[in-house]
Amino acid sequence: MLASRQLRAFPRFSRRYPLLLIGVIVLACLHVQINTSLPLSEQWVLLFQAPSGFDQLQFVYGNLPRMALAIMVGAVLGFSGSVLQQLTQNRLVSPMTLGASSGAWLAMVCATIWLPVWAAHSVWPALAGAMIAVAVVVVIAGPQGLGGLPLILSGMALNLLLGAVSAAVVMMHDQYVRNLFLWGSGDLAQNDWLWVSWLWPRLWPAPLVLWLAHRPLMLLRLGSQGAQGRGMRLWPVMLLLLFAALWLSSVAITAVGLIGFIGLLTPNFVRLLGARSVRGELIGSALLGAVLLLATDMLAQLGGTLGFGIVPSGAAAALIGVPGLLWFSRKRQAVSGGQQTISLVVRAQQLKPWAWIVIGASLALLALLSLTLSLSARGWQISWPDDLVWLFRWPRTLAAAAAGIGLAVAGVILQRLLRNPLASPDMLGLSAGSTLVLVLASTLLHRPLQQGATGLAFFGSMGVLLLLLALGRRMNYAPGMMALVGISLSALLDAVLQFALASGSADTFTIVGWLAGSTYRVSGGQSLALAVTVTVLLLLALLGQRSLTLMSISDGVASGRGVNLRVARVAWLVLVSLLTAAVTSVMGPIGFLGLLAPHMAALFGARRVVPQLLLSAGIGSVLLLLADWLGRMVIYPGQAPVGIVASVICGLYFIVLLLVQRARRGWA
Amino acid sequence: MRITVKRWLCWLAGGLSLLSGMVLADTQVQDSTGIHHFNAVPKRVITLSWEATDEVLALGITPIAAADAVDYRRWVVQPTLPASTLEIGSRLEPNLELILSLKPDLIIINPVLRDMQPQLSRIAPVLMFDAYRMDHDNAAYARQVYLELARLFGRQALAQQRIREMDGRVEQLRARLHQHFGPTLPKVEILRFAGPASVYLFGENSMPIKALQMLGVPNPGRKTMSAWGITSMPITALGQFGDRIVLHQEPFDQSDKLFPTPLWQAMPFVKAHHFAAVRSIWSYSGFFSLYYLADAITDALLTLPASPAR
Repeated sequence: MLASRQLRAFPRFSRRYPLLLIGVIVLACLHVQINTSLPLSEQWVLLFQAPSGFDQLQFVYGNLPRMALAIMVGAVLGFSGSVLQQLTQNRLVSPMTLGASSGAWLAMVCATIWLPVWAAHSVWPALAGAMIAVAVVVVIAGPQGLGGLPLILSGMALNLLLGAVSAAVVMMHDQYVRNLFLWGSGDLAQNDWLWVSWLWPRLWPAPLVLWLAHRPLMLLRLGSQGAQGRGMRLWPVMLLLLFAALWLSSVAITAVGLIGFIGLLTPNFVRLLGARSVRGELIGSALLGAVLLLATDMLAQLGGTLGFGIVPSGAAAALIGVPGLLWFSRKRQAVSGGQQTISLVVRAQQLKPWAWIVIGASLALLALLSLTLSLSARGWQISWPDDLVWLFRWPRTLAAAAAGIGLAVAGVILQRLLRNPLASPDMLGLSAGSTLVLVLASTLLHRPLQQGATGLAFFGSMGVLLLLLALGRRMNYAPGMMALVGISLSALLDAVLQFALASGSADTFTIVGWLAGSTYRVSGGQSLALAVTVTVLLLLALLGQRSLTLMSISDGVASGRGVNLRVARVAWLVLVSLLTAAVTSVMGPIGFLGLLAPHMAALFGARRVVPQLLLSAGIGSVLLLLADWLGRMVIYPGQAPVGIVASVICGLYFIVLLLVQRARRGWA
Repeated sequence: MRITVKRWLCWLAGGLSLLSGMVLADTQVQDSTGIHHFNAVPKRVITLSWEATDEVLALGITPIAAADAVDYRRWVVQPTLPASTLEIGSRLEPNLELILSLKPDLIIINPVLRDMQPQLSRIAPVLMFDAYRMDHDNAAYARQVYLELARLFGRQALAQQRIREMDGRVEQLRARLHQHFGPTLPKVEILRFAGPASVYLFGENSMPIKALQMLGVPNPGRKTMSAWGITSMPITALGQFGDRIVLHQEPFDQSDKLFPTPLWQAMPFVKAHHFAAVRSIWSYSGFFSLYYLADAITDALLTLPASPAR
């Protein structure tokens, strides 16, 4: 029945192809008018005869290939986004949200540094990075999670991990990767037909997909059970389609760099325009993708002529894409499909009293070690610090411990509130918001990033909180919407960051340093303030534990017992934001801890709210103290920032844990 | 007025103290935060920025430790940092405890470490020089910093002599350029490639343009939006330079993807053979990097044909 309705819708949308095609042609003609002084008649003649003179050459080797590349890349991004979305039956999937882009970026960064010859003109680093990232994300989410939030949250988690690793690599090889930033920000500028002629022969999977995909994707809409019932062997076909979609987006990424949002938004807009059939959506997405990228690239070029220097198209796409995505998510229940929660199997056990002793003892031991044991010019030294050394050490130790508590508590609250064990403060975009404000301030006001960072960072994450509250009111603070805001903001941050780094107007060095998250600059006053804030907020959380317990069972249970869901959700969100803002504004973004600590507390058997809050606070503290101390020693006399150390350790542990659990539970 | 009188007194005092065993009565040094008083010539100096390392070395003083010393030796290269100078961690997060254990009597920083100043001043007196800003002349400020430090270390004579030497050598460079190009030097643009499709153009307040001005080479000196005086632009925009002389600063490892293309070959300045490479020089460093830049630029210009641009 569903299928027949779709078949009836098919001819109606296909009437819009000519319209979209005309759109592509008109925009293409407008697109080549930017930055040329040639009259139209002369441009027409150039299509048939060899150019002479610089203006003509510039038109033929600069404007035309740029236009051709914008059409091809836009179409490819829209097309592969549509394939991925239909394959997973998930409207939020794109190379960006699946972790493919950050995988490709990390692989390119590494290849540029260690295998420069290989990296220069080859699709393989980007493809390998994208494939591995997506494979990990899909395995973590599992077949039941593909259609819903779990896939998006695992993608987000992997994005954070890969982002932290790339940041660490970039930080240590600042000079080598400098020229990669412009590529990373998606610059479409061309000086030859080189990339066009490189790209088009590599697009052969597209017609193949168009020809092959119709039946399997149609059957997938009936649910995988229904499809299997009709005798389809789904996995080989799905894998093939997945590989084709990733191949297509990887060649596009290799050619022009990271351009997000087009792949995510286009299929959704095409559906809003009325596309129902598999082919209708695929063809429509390709055409609309071309239209969108042409338009975006025109804006970017016009922005460039206004004196901002080069505005990369990837940054322009993000600037347009974020409002688009938020608007889209407001219009309809974007993430209603599929399973909304993901469960982590926790070994069922009672909370052992020794857990408290172990955590308490390691906390005390680590705090003591972090204050007394250190490397010096004469090797390892253990001694009680003298006055001045004490003055250098205690703010860092206290800040690390307090930040660990703050992030862990925020993580517990968020995971219970969203009933999703992959939720964490960094995924709501709160830390991205603070960083965004800082980078913008330092780029636009031309001042050192570290100056007055605390206030600005706080301002940034509170801004994100207001956005969350405003957008969330209509949707009852649905978890999907929250994740969407987080994804949008992180992507926007990435784009602005790449732009700032590429334009040369900001100091790469200090921005990358801030992004790492560090206790280095924490003053005594700041660390005391942080400790007090975190303690007060933890007490508040403990006081409100009843509503959190009820809400983590279900909304029905909570409202049945007299919890005002709206008020309670807002209150908990504010608490989480305050915790995150307090930590981020003092130390910079620190990923993964808020995700991992609650989970480890559950592993110890803390299942009720109060023990989980307290135990994960202890674990968070222990982990950050360890990460901070390790960071100070591991590349002595240099200092590895605590944020990167924590992200990499916790992130790796977490991804491995999820993979192991998937293996143990099997694939069904 | 009062300050100049004070300065004279200081110099006098400095000269006297040199005679009487390197003890200064009171030297005042002006940095970006204000005036600082010193009673003795600092002996154990730690530099936490590359500009500072450069300026101190140019006074013939070897810092006991420097931030990113290893990378300095790789990227800045000149003036040479002796192997005896210790690595002290990154310029962003130098190791406080190591600095403390080295017992310095002077620490020089730039604004990257502005908010660490309270902690650092507990170890030793701190001077902060904000070398690269949009609202001052970067080259003039570099010279001022150099002279200021010279006064602190009681080496004004050396500093003046080195500046005179530099002026003399720049004069020689200029003479070589005139010998090659005739009485009027051609206009020159300098850029750095960001990739095969885009460049950073050096503008008004950048050190390469200051070096050009020092050589008396005309340059439009475009306004830019960055403290380092650079602007990004696409390759196609370079057509506007006509057959003016265009130099690019090395390294550029993707030249094989740009230089053979028809568009590049059609650039008027490429056709006219008015395009040359300047050897790699760190262009965000201290005062004497101006001379190294000028030297490299002159060498690049002398490879070009002498026929003046239209």
